[in-house]
Amino acid sequence: MKHTTLLFTALLLLFVFSVVAQDQSINLQEDNEKESKYFGRFYGGLESNVQYYVEDSGLESAIVPEDQLRSNNYLYANYNYNKWTAGMQIEAYEQNALLNYNPKFEGTHLGIYFLNYKDEKWDVTLGHFYEQFGNGMILRAWEDRALGINSALRGGRVKFAPNYNMEFTALYGRQRSGFGVTSGDIFGFNADFFLAEYLNLYEKNQDLSVGLSYVGRYESFDAYPQLQNPEFDELTNAFSLRADYMWGAFYAVAEANYKSEDGILNVQNLLSDQSAKSGNAVTLNFGYSKSGFGLDVNLRRMENMGFYSRREPEVFTNFEGEPQTSFDYLDTFINFTPALTKQHHSLLANIYVFQAQHSVLFEDPQVMRAGETGGQIDFFYKFKKGTFLGGKHGTHIFLNYSNWYNLPGRYTFNPPDYDVDFFGRGNKYFSDYSIEIKKKVNETWHLGFNYINQYYDQRLLGGGDLVRADIVTAEATYNFTRKRSLRFELEKMWAVGDRQDWFGGSIEYNFNENLSVYFWDIWNYGSDKPEERVHYLNVGGAYRIGAYRVALNYGRQRGGLVCVGGVCRFVPESSGLTLNFNTSF
Amino acid sequence: MKSLFLFLFATIFSLTAYAQNELPSITIKDLKNKPINIKHEYAEKDKVYVFSFWATWCAPCISELEAISEYYEDWSEELNMELVAISTDDSRTQRRVRPMLNGKDWPYQVLLDGNQELKRALSIVNIPYSIVVKNQKIEHIFNGYTQGAEHELYEVIKGL
Repeated sequence: MKHTTLLFTALLLLFVFSVVAQDQSINLQEDNEKESKYFGRFYGGLESNVQYYVEDSGLESAIVPEDQLRSNNYLYANYNYNKWTAGMQIEAYEQNALLNYNPKFEGTHLGIYFLNYKDEKWDVTLGHFYEQFGNGMILRAWEDRALGINSALRGGRVKFAPNYNMEFTALYGRQRSGFGVTSGDIFGFNADFFLAEYLNLYEKNQDLSVGLSYVGRYESFDAYPQLQNPEFDELTNAFSLRADYMWGAFYAVAEANYKSEDGILNVQNLLSDQSAKSGNAVTLNFGYSKSGFGLDVNLRRMENMGFYSRREPEVFTNFEGEPQTSFDYLDTFINFTPALTKQHHSLLANIYVFQAQHSVLFEDPQVMRAGETGGQIDFFYKFKKGTFLGGKHGTHIFLNYSNWYNLPGRYTFNPPDYDVDFFGRGNKYFSDYSIEIKKKVNETWHLGFNYINQYYDQRLLGGGDLVRADIVTAEATYNFTRKRSLRFELEKMWAVGDRQDWFGGSIEYNFNENLSVYFWDIWNYGSDKPEERVHYLNVGGAYRIGAYRVALNYGRQRGGLVCVGGVCRFVPESSGLTLNFNTSF
Repeated sequence: MKSLFLFLFATIFSLTAYAQNELPSITIKDLKNKPINIKHEYAEKDKVYVFSFWATWCAPCISELEAISEYYEDWSEELNMELVAISTDDSRTQRRVRPMLNGKDWPYQVLLDGNQELKRALSIVNIPYSIVVKNQKIEHIFNGYTQGAEHELYEVIKGL
C-alpha cells in the first residue's frame, strides 16, 4: 500500500508543476487563442489533508493509530463543452482516512461521476448529483469533506424551468455510502413557484413564492428477517410545503413537513414489527430588517424526523474496539436537520455544541425523547458613525437567544411509546444567550468582545452531567501597517459540571496578505480529574497565493465534536502534525 | 484499477493545458428569490466584478466584507467595479443573511448559494474566497483573507 501513497504524492507534485507551468505559458497561448478552436472548458480542484499522529505522554487519552500517517485527498475535475459537462471526483484515503472518518472511506477510488446537459429550460444529470428541497428537512444530498459527509444520489435528475417563475425537479437515485450506494431507492419531486410577477406584487414592494416536495424511500424488508408482519410499509413517503413572503423590510417563511409511518429503531438500533410512528416538522421564520438594524426569529418543532436510506445502521468496531454505527459517521442520512443556534468562533464556546435532536430515542426510563422544539432570536444593530456609541467608525452589536427542549407529552419505556403535544416544551436540552460587540477604534486598533451563557444537558444528550457555562472573550487587532497586523484573543470559561473551568488564548500574526502564523492554547485547569488538566497547544501557519492555500498545524486535538454548519462529527483526542493543501484550476 | 486512475490522472494533466479561466454558467438566487446567472448577469464590458464567498458564521469573511465596506464608496466612484457577496450559508443560517446584511449596513448585492453549487463548481474548499472577474474571465483569486488584504484587492482591481 505504501507505493500508493508515493504515487499519489508524485501525482500531486506533477499536478502542481503542470499548473504553474501552464500559468507561465498563458501569455504565449493568448496570441494563438483567437485562431485556435474552442476546446471547451476544463475546471476543478484539488484538496489534500494529511495528518501524522504522534505519541504524546502529556495527553493520556490521545490515540495513536496503527497507520500514523493518514490522508484524505480529493481531486475534482470537470470538462464542459457547450451545454454538456462531465465531471468526476477521485478520492484517496491513504494510508487510511483521518481518525474517525467513516471506515468505508478506504483506498483510492472514483467517488463521484456524472454527465450533465443544461440549456435555458432543461437541466439533466446522469450519475451522481447533489440536491436540496426547501430547507432540506426531507431531502438534502450534499458534501462536506471536513465532516466526512458525501450523501450524493446516484441515478438521474431532470430539472425543468419553463420560465423564470417556476421550476420542477424529478429525481431517482440511490444514496452514496462509502464508495458504493445503499439498497434504498430514493424518488423525489419538487416544484417551486415565484408568484410576485403574476400577482403584481413587485409594484407593491412585496414578494411571494411557494414550493412543494415529495420524497419516497423504498427499502425492501428482505434485509430485516426479524420483521414478520410490520406495521409500516417498505415505501416511506415524505412531503413538504412551504411559503416565503416579503413585504418591504418584513419577511416571513413557513415550512411544514410530514413523514409517513416508518419503523423506529430500539436502543440496539434494530427494527421491530410493532414499533412504528409517523414524523413531522414545522419551521416558522420571520424578521424585519432595514439599514443598520436586523431582527430575525426562527421557531421549529421536529418530531421523529430521522430519515435514512437504509433503516438500520451498519455497526463497526472503531480503533478503540468500541462499537460505532454508520449514523455516528452521518452516513445514510437523507435529510438535513441542523441545529438552529449561533455558530460561535471562539474556541471555548465550541466545547458544548448542540446538535438537533431529530429522531426518537428510548435510552432508559430517564432518557426518552421524540424530537425537539424551540427557537432562536437574532438581533443586529449598528451604532452609526459619529454617534456617541458609534464613534468615528461605528459599532456593531449582535445578540442571539436560543432555547431547545424535548417534546412535551407522555412517554412509556416498556413497550417504548410516546404521545406528544404540539405546543409546549419538555425537558430543556440546551440554551445559548450571547452578545457580540465589534468596534473599529481607528485604523490601528480593532476590538471585539463576546459574552456567552450556555446550558447543555448531557444527561439527555449522549451522557454526562448537566453543564452550565459562562464564557467571556476579548480580542484586539493591532495593525502595524496596512498589511502587517497582530491579533490576540483571550477567553475564559466558568463552567459547572463536566470538565469545569477553561482558559484560552490565541495570537495571530499576519506578515502580509499571503502569510500568517498563529499560536493558541486552551487549558482545562479547572477539571476535577488531574489527567484532564492539560493544555491543548497548537501552533501553525498558512500561506496563500492566488488559488493556492497551504496550512500547517502542530498540536493537540481536543476530543469531542467538530461541527460545520450545525452538523457535528466526533473526533478523538490526538496529537500530531497536519498539512492542508487546496487549489482550484 | 490502478492503471485506470493513472490514465485518468494523465488525461487530466494533459487537459489542464486547455483550462480556461472562465466563469461557470450557474444560476443561483438573490435575496428576492430572483434567479441570477453568474456568467451572463455580470458581463458589462471592462467592468470589474469581485465575487466574495462568505457565510454568516465565518468571522474572517465578515472582517473582509466589513473592511471593504469602509472603502466601497470610494472604490466604486474611482473604479468601474462591483462586489457581489455570495453567501454559502445552508438552511441552518441562511435566514440570518438578510438581517445581518442590513444590520451591518453593507452596500453589496447578496446571492445565496445554499447547496453550494457555485462554490463546488469553482472548487472552493474554504471561505473567505474571492474571485476578481473582468470580461467574464477570472483574473485573480484570493484564497483566504488576512487583515489588510483589501488593499491588495484594490491594487488588483486598479491594475486590470
